[in-house]
Amino acid sequence: MTEKNPEKIDEEKNERPERVERPERGERSDRGQRGADRRRFVSRPKFCQFCTDKNLKIDYKNVELMGRYINETGKIRPRRQTGACAKHQREVATAIKNARHIALIPFEGDFWAEY
Amino acid sequence: MHKYETVLVFQADLDEAALNTAVETVETLIKNNGEVTKIDRWGKRKLAYPIRKQFEGYYVYMTFDGAPSEIANIKRSLGYNEQILRYIIVRVD
Repeated sequence: MTEKNPEKIDEEKNERPERVERPERGERSDRGQRGADRRRFVSRPKFCQFCTDKNLKIDYKNVELMGRYINETGKIRPRRQTGACAKHQREVATAIKNARHIALIPFEGDFWAEY
Repeated sequence: MHKYETVLVFQADLDEAALNTAVETVETLIKNNGEVTKIDRWGKRKLAYPIRKQFEGYYVYMTFDGAPSEIANIKRSLGYNEQILRYIIVRVD
């Protein structure tokens, strides 16, 4: 209902606004697709780091390792970026929370900027 | 008895003697009902965020064997200790 009303008003006034609007919509959808393509091609690890290397242990004391699993705002990076499997991502998440508590890793803010 | 590890963050502005006694008090606290197996002093480190308006901490890592029932007591005493900014106790076995 709400969509139809403005169209009717446009038809009554002039036919031009409709024609102008349609190509705009097309452009917008193209932009969306391009954005999605860009996101799809961000390089990321395809395998869980901890599944491939069994010797590598998730440790809240290992600052360098845990630092790789937070982004520049200090948030825990999602699985789609880290490539970690569900099990290890959970362990990483708890390890990061432990490391935050003893001030090895920040709750917020850029951690790598200091180094 | 279980194996535990702990990281203690002491105030960095303590002098060496005060620091040693502070570490020893924690040691004796654990030895009440357990055994300290390893002490590793990481030394002064910059804190990732200020705690009690302090920007540095003195990190000490310990492993010890202890009874689960004693952990609550240890935690309570560590909490009362004002020289300790933060601590964490994790079971490792």
